[in-house]
Amino acid sequence: MRSLTLDHASFWYPATASPALRDVSLEVVQGEVVALVGALGAGASTLLLVAADLAPRVIGGRLTGTVARRDRSGIVLPTPWTQASGMAFTVWDEVAFGPANLGWPAHEIARQVDRALERLELVPLASRDPVTLSGGELQRVIIAAILAMDPGLVLFDEPAAELDAEGARTLWRLIRLLASEGKAVLLATSALDAIPDVADRVVWLEDGAVRAVGTPDLLADVAACDAGLGTSVATVWRASGLPPPYPLTVAHAVQRWR
Amino acid sequence: MALTPVLHLDGVSFSYGAVPALENLSFSIAPGERVALLGRNGAGKSTVVRLVAGLERPDQGTVWVGDWDARDCAPEQLARRVGSMFQHADQQLFASTVRADVSFGPRALGLGEREVERRTDDALEDLDLTPHAAHHPYDLPPAFRQLAALAGALALEPALLVLDEPTIGLDRALRARVTRALLERSAAGVALLVITHDLTFAAETLERGLVLDRGRLARDEQLAGLVGDATRLDPLGLVPPPIAALSAALDLPGRPVRAAEVARELARVARGRPVP
Amino acid sequence: MTGGGRLHPFTLLAIAAALPALAWILPAPSGGLAMATIALGLAASRGLRPGLRPAVLTAAPFWLFLLLLHDVPTTIAIGLRITTMVASFVWLVATLEPARLVEAMIAAGWSASIAYLLAATLSAVPVLKARARRIVEAQRCRGLSPRGGIAARLRALRALALPLVLSALHEVDERALALETRGLVPGIRRTPLAPPPDPAVEQAARWALLLACLAALARRFIVPRFI
Repeated sequence: MRSLTLDHASFWYPATASPALRDVSLEVVQGEVVALVGALGAGASTLLLVAADLAPRVIGGRLTGTVARRDRSGIVLPTPWTQASGMAFTVWDEVAFGPANLGWPAHEIARQVDRALERLELVPLASRDPVTLSGGELQRVIIAAILAMDPGLVLFDEPAAELDAEGARTLWRLIRLLASEGKAVLLATSALDAIPDVADRVVWLEDGAVRAVGTPDLLADVAACDAGLGTSVATVWRASGLPPPYPLTVAHAVQRWR
Repeated sequence: MALTPVLHLDGVSFSYGAVPALENLSFSIAPGERVALLGRNGAGKSTVVRLVAGLERPDQGTVWVGDWDARDCAPEQLARRVGSMFQHADQQLFASTVRADVSFGPRALGLGEREVERRTDDALEDLDLTPHAAHHPYDLPPAFRQLAALAGALALEPALLVLDEPTIGLDRALRARVTRALLERSAAGVALLVITHDLTFAAETLERGLVLDRGRLARDEQLAGLVGDATRLDPLGLVPPPIAALSAALDLPGRPVRAAEVARELARVARGRPVP
Repeated sequence: MTGGGRLHPFTLLAIAAALPALAWILPAPSGGLAMATIALGLAASRGLRPGLRPAVLTAAPFWLFLLLLHDVPTTIAIGLRITTMVASFVWLVATLEPARLVEAMIAAGWSASIAYLLAATLSAVPVLKARARRIVEAQRCRGLSPRGGIAARLRALRALALPLVLSALHEVDERALALETRGLVPGIRRTPLAPPPDPAVEQAARWALLLACLAALARRFIVPRFI
């Protein structure tokens, strides 16, 4: 079942002549993870803001085309320190902030918060003051906070930027788990090498428009490699002069090599 | 006769109040050496940067910046020898143009105007920022502001560059720019100490790895031998970058870890193989 | 918690408002002196660094300006009143937990948006302080010396002020967006998680403070007309 549908959506930021999104048509289905890739400024963050109903409603600007949402959406922004409420003295309260705003009964809030804390391995940090946390820890708290609001459509903008290797690994596993629970996930990430294990589909954005859509194999295409959007393995395979198709991951390369 | 190390930590311990951050840390960095400071979040890496920049004093042990005891120096004095770039540096720019911001450091050092200009121009050029030199920093996207902050550190032309996560938020092309700029500086004798989670970047740019684990030095060795070895990286919370993992999985001769070398070896080995 | 931290947030607000109000209403300089002493005492009860020092350092420039413009008795009269205001505000920021204020306001029926606005104002101070510290550190590591002559200090101030203001402004925008992402929907009543207790004694005390201010006002302006 479709969770998010964009139909020929174009978006202009306030007082800007050229559109940040051009004629984007895209859908995300419940239970799938779609990754957005592109160069900096290609429009991935903008697309997520539109999907989250923050653009143009909150940030202004102009939107043409249609955006249809079936579920409540939750978005994890790349800057956890601005997304923190600034009004919670413990991690528990921080995660409870969103559900409380939604007016849920206290026992439901407690259930969602406890579950979110467990999923993000934050239980040992539950009584810490968010202000004392590192960037990576705070990012996990914000992710827990958004998940605690039980969104059907979960949007991530560079969620692994502040995380170390273990934190990133836990995050990718969690994202797959969310999809297996029936949530729709749309994820903008520059961690190209992680995409084959996380995403079901990849959308390549260039200058605000959709250049290509496909499975993660897209990231082993010649075009993607030339645009700097190939996986590390595909890129180095191309650089070696070996013929396409290029392997996507180390595992594929090993298979090819035999 | 060994040269004076650019940086020498001798038995350094440090705690933030009651919370221990570093324990008995000792290492040296020689001129021109390129060192990665690795480890999990919370392992103490940023604390090392703060100690080297003179923002904190060690509880025990000594931080030697060249022949200066950092304990006796204010950060603005250490700026003569150490160029630091902290995380979220894109929020610290304040001049009205990129050029003015980059030239701030050399000017603050009291250099003559011509020298200030030369250092600024070189730093901007090294990072391909010259086209943006006249822009207001806050008109640029965060990634370019970050490069401008890095240029500011380069313009100090210090003996040691200490960078905390310089590539967060940069795409592959911009990361390559940073690699190129740092390798050029290193070839000119500048030592590098770079904190990074990005082991791909570390393998491309740096040669030696210091791995911190809960405030202690767990590993001090050449990156080439370390980054491809999952069994030794795993307990430290690190994962081999894909290119190094590829090199190990295919057992390429010499186990190269840098992209260009891996590509070369792949081609060589493929050529030498019988066609199926 | 010392200095009143466990009082109901509205009580804290009432005290922080009543002290300056009384300082202005009561006859100078004794009224101002009494209120300033109480306010400084409260600020000091939060400790030297978070309480008394910022209060004194913030009030000091005002005294200097006043001395330039007025004679000594007027300076003392106004200076004490301003000191009361500053010290009360410093005490309030150090004592009032934004989360508790939000809970109290929502329990009392205020809309979540207004509650957050007030709480954000209160929590802005420590956030900006932390950010200012980081910016100063970064500038020092580029050779900026906070010591030195007037020109050097002005340069240092500019090197701090501009990024601080710009990042603060930018953050206001981002914060508004971020709060939207945290479920702030107009019309929905936020669930109180832990509304602070409001004992009858405190409610009575707040009314008493209000009456005291009104009485002082009456005594000052109305009574003399009948004499």
